[in-house]
Amino acid sequence: MDDLITLVNSGLGLVATGDRADLRQRLDQTLARLANPDIRVIVVGEFKQGKSKLINALVNAPVCPVDDDIATSVPTVVSFGDPASAAVLVPRDGGGPEQDPAAFERRPVALEDIAGFVSERGNPSNRQGLASAEVRLPRRVLADGLSIIDSPGVGGLESAHALTTLTALPTADAMLLVSDASQEYTEPELRFLKQAQRIVPNVGCVLSKTDLYPQWRAVADLDRAHLAQAGVGTVPLLPVSSDLRLVASQTKDSELNRESGFPQLVAYLRNDVVGKAQALRRNSVAQDLLSTTEHLRLSVTSELQALQHPEGVPVLLAQLEEAKAKADQQRKRSSRWQTLLNDGASDLISDMEHDLRDRLRSIQREAEAAIDDGDPGPVWDQFAEWLEQRVASAVSDTFVWTNERSRWLAEQVAELFALDEVPLPLLEVSSTDGVLAPVEEVPYLDPGRVSAAGKVLIGMRGSYGGVLMFGLLTGIIGMSLINPLSVGAGLLLGRKAYREDKDARLKRRQAEAKSLVRRQMDDVVFQVGKQLKDRLRLVQREIRDHFGDIAEEHHRSLADSVAAAQRSASTFRQERDERVTELKAQLARIDQLHAKAKRLLPEAVPVPQASADVGAGA
Amino acid sequence: MRDSGDVEALLLEAAEVYDDDPALRAELEGYARRLREPLRVAVAGMVKAGKSTLLNAIIGEEIAPTDTGECTRIVTWYRHAATPRITAYPVEGEPRLLPLKRVEGRLVFDLGGQQADDVSRLVVEWPAVNLRSMTLIDTPGIASLSAEVSARSTRFLLPEDAPSEADAVIYLMRHLHGSDLKFLEAFRDTSAASSGTVNALAVLSRADEVGSGRIDSLISASRIADRYRSDPSLKSLVLDVLPMAGLLAQSARTLRQAEYEAFVALAALGKTERERMLLSADRFVTGSTAIGIPPEDAARLLDRFGMFGLRLGAALVRGGTSDPTALAHELARRSGLDHLMALVTRQFSARATTLRVRTALTGLEALVRSNPREAAAGLLAGVERVKANAHEINELRLLSALRSGGVPLPARAAEEAERLVGGSGTGAADRLALPPGVDAEDIRSASLGTLHRWRVLAENPLTDRGALEACHVVLRSCEELVVLAGSVPQGGEPARGRHRADTGQRADTEPAHG
Repeated sequence: MDDLITLVNSGLGLVATGDRADLRQRLDQTLARLANPDIRVIVVGEFKQGKSKLINALVNAPVCPVDDDIATSVPTVVSFGDPASAAVLVPRDGGGPEQDPAAFERRPVALEDIAGFVSERGNPSNRQGLASAEVRLPRRVLADGLSIIDSPGVGGLESAHALTTLTALPTADAMLLVSDASQEYTEPELRFLKQAQRIVPNVGCVLSKTDLYPQWRAVADLDRAHLAQAGVGTVPLLPVSSDLRLVASQTKDSELNRESGFPQLVAYLRNDVVGKAQALRRNSVAQDLLSTTEHLRLSVTSELQALQHPEGVPVLLAQLEEAKAKADQQRKRSSRWQTLLNDGASDLISDMEHDLRDRLRSIQREAEAAIDDGDPGPVWDQFAEWLEQRVASAVSDTFVWTNERSRWLAEQVAELFALDEVPLPLLEVSSTDGVLAPVEEVPYLDPGRVSAAGKVLIGMRGSYGGVLMFGLLTGIIGMSLINPLSVGAGLLLGRKAYREDKDARLKRRQAEAKSLVRRQMDDVVFQVGKQLKDRLRLVQREIRDHFGDIAEEHHRSLADSVAAAQRSASTFRQERDERVTELKAQLARIDQLHAKAKRLLPEAVPVPQASADVGAGA
Repeated sequence: MRDSGDVEALLLEAAEVYDDDPALRAELEGYARRLREPLRVAVAGMVKAGKSTLLNAIIGEEIAPTDTGECTRIVTWYRHAATPRITAYPVEGEPRLLPLKRVEGRLVFDLGGQQADDVSRLVVEWPAVNLRSMTLIDTPGIASLSAEVSARSTRFLLPEDAPSEADAVIYLMRHLHGSDLKFLEAFRDTSAASSGTVNALAVLSRADEVGSGRIDSLISASRIADRYRSDPSLKSLVLDVLPMAGLLAQSARTLRQAEYEAFVALAALGKTERERMLLSADRFVTGSTAIGIPPEDAARLLDRFGMFGLRLGAALVRGGTSDPTALAHELARRSGLDHLMALVTRQFSARATTLRVRTALTGLEALVRSNPREAAAGLLAGVERVKANAHEINELRLLSALRSGGVPLPARAAEEAERLVGGSGTGAADRLALPPGVDAEDIRSASLGTLHRWRVLAENPLTDRGALEACHVVLRSCEELVVLAGSVPQGGEPARGRHRADTGQRADTEPAHG
């Protein structure tokens, strides 16, 4: 990671001399991304599967509270930090939207007190209203930027809580699903896994508590069979025992440690999770550096070329002007990629709204039929719960679907952009007639273009809070509906009188229930629709800015080259020689950095594979 | 409820009304037969909650098949008979006998080429003492990966148009899960929608696994059970929640000499050595040769007792339990099985007739409503009459209302009312919160005192009307307590008091109708 920072810094050194603020900004962003190396792994599962203990055993410290009864009530982020420290995040009153970091106040707490904040015992059902807790520990396993998130367990992964977890997933690089060895996967677990796999790039399954269950091998086999049957057979299943690992670290017993299964888990985290995330990161740094050097090189070489071969200047200028005009096109709103992006985003938004409405409408029909069939009064509580669950699962379906579609849109735009893009011309310095040889395609730039889609979503991971949809759902669904007590009181008062006007009252109650359901659906469409729309707009903006910047850079580079070539005509001979030497030295430095950046890329990456990586990585 | 004569008469009457329809008559006869049979208790729960294991523990023999994977796929009845026999009832066609095959003691259901889907139920007849007082029903797990298996359970326990086949349910859960609550709610609704009563017990079935099988796991588990007991969402659905180590209960009842010797060998080891060996299941199996137990025996021991059982057994032997019988007793006692059985007796067996009558009434009412006849109007009136007179059903209904918090009584009075109508057991001492074994005189004076207090409350003009109805049920329970305790001098008094209270109530409520 440090070598990357040095490289980017030397790139910044090169840019500093010129007036290319746009390139400097790009490298600054690259540096900022490197400075925050978080690789987020969310640990999820039903309650009492040993999630917190797994994390404790992994970092060998009692950071997440463990209890025989339900323990965790607030999500806890465990990451690297020296010295060890802890803090809780409290939402500020009247703060902005939740993805705004200013909406939270970071309150440092003592490391040993953290249990009092995040445990069900110290903070039942998160009454203190904490957003999350952070623990930083000086541990080797975390040093690569791994940050592990302990989530509160959910009872029944199909509930609204599962949706919270689901909406938080796009912000994560990997997910570990923890299930203990007492039994094979249940239906809700598998369904959750299948859905999550479509959102998060890397999913691993942990089979916990192997010390307690002698039949864990049989359960592991059953689970693998279930995974294969569900079409997610590539997901690794890692059997571990947190208790053994804790004893092993206390007694420094390496044999016990091996038996605990943790070495495999650590290897998985290091190679598959951290390794992949870092490779992705290296690639994106390399791309940034390569394109920066390309841009710098263009103006330097065109000036050099013009100085050395003054007779070719008119041709050079004509071709550069032509390329510049094309690049100008790319910047305009009317360019093909812009149109595709705008149309695609508005299509996506209307499709999303239609999809959401469609799903909710079928729920509404089902609900109304149920209300017509009987008296909604006495069963209203269960009915409301049923409604909540159906709505939650409909919203999560729409969410997953929208996520996939927006990724697809980003890829489409990237493809079109690459197609229309003006390749930066390569100048043939040695050729006597000074002809520009525009290269058909700039091969090593290609993966960078395609991975732009991936990069957009990586960027979003940091910016998108993810938890908002859940708060909203419980907010609108937890409203008071028909009070069942008032119905009960009617029964107690007098059965006879009640029966006589039962029909009229039943009709009224049914009508009331139906209008409540309808209002509820309207609210959901309104609120969730707004959230998803905002999300899509964010995607659209990110894509536009990303490609807009690239187009802008191209235009600047070509304009600079034109200016440089023109400048050369008015230069005196003596100055000319000095300038040539200077430019040659500059070119050498640029080429050196270019070569270094190129070495960062994995050897001989064919384009299709790179795009496949992006598919998995985005 | 001490007898079901009224209901039987009603069913006979109904059989005459529906004489022309053989299907309905058969249904009615079924209800009548059910009244004479032992109580049907279904054991239900999510997949792998330990249903079959608990069943084996109650029967006292390891006959129900259990496995690591999901195992029970067909609803299986276990009822008492002098000779063992297995009958399969196919969905279509005649019932047939299955061969009695056992592998390592466990029954193997050889369906003879038939698919599990085609068999509606299996009936196992077995000469076990505990089956005399109740028929146990093993059901496939809820939330199974195979939707069909789950649906089979749901169809059986929660039929859409008839009363549930089970009179009561022991619901097993590992932790309170969304699906658990949903099921319990649905069971309350179908089994007792019209009578509004509670007839389920919740059991934290794998209590030994709570604290990673530490030796104090059961203490932890009972703390969790306490929390669940006071959980409002669960309180209105079940009579009680208690922890149990099912595996331990099952194996303790069948402890063998060789197993006892293994415990002794384990106890004889030094502390560190023993602790290292009991660190994990794998370690125990590989390390067992060192104390003279072959690995396959060790694996079987582990299967039967679990890590918690091994740790507890070794600790008990070290603590001085010196013979197999004593060890078996102690293990069984700690497993919580006795407690469960006592609770089953107190909550279900004591109410067996009430629960059965209630099932029959619910069924009869549904049948009459869906098949209206001119002559049937009298039947509905009869159902209403029996229901109104059956104080025990009223007690159950009030209990359920109290638990769901729907009765406007002050908190302390509500608590007392819950106990008085039999919320913690139907014995006189249980109801009056007296220590068990107090003499009749104490019971009499305590119940008279209570009766007096409740009468004052009932006659208080400020008492809410909803609460008043509850008061009358409680008063009637108190009066029965007084009568039971042999109240000779004031024998007639309570009855008259009740009468007055009843008319008073009617006078109170009448104007409200208009």
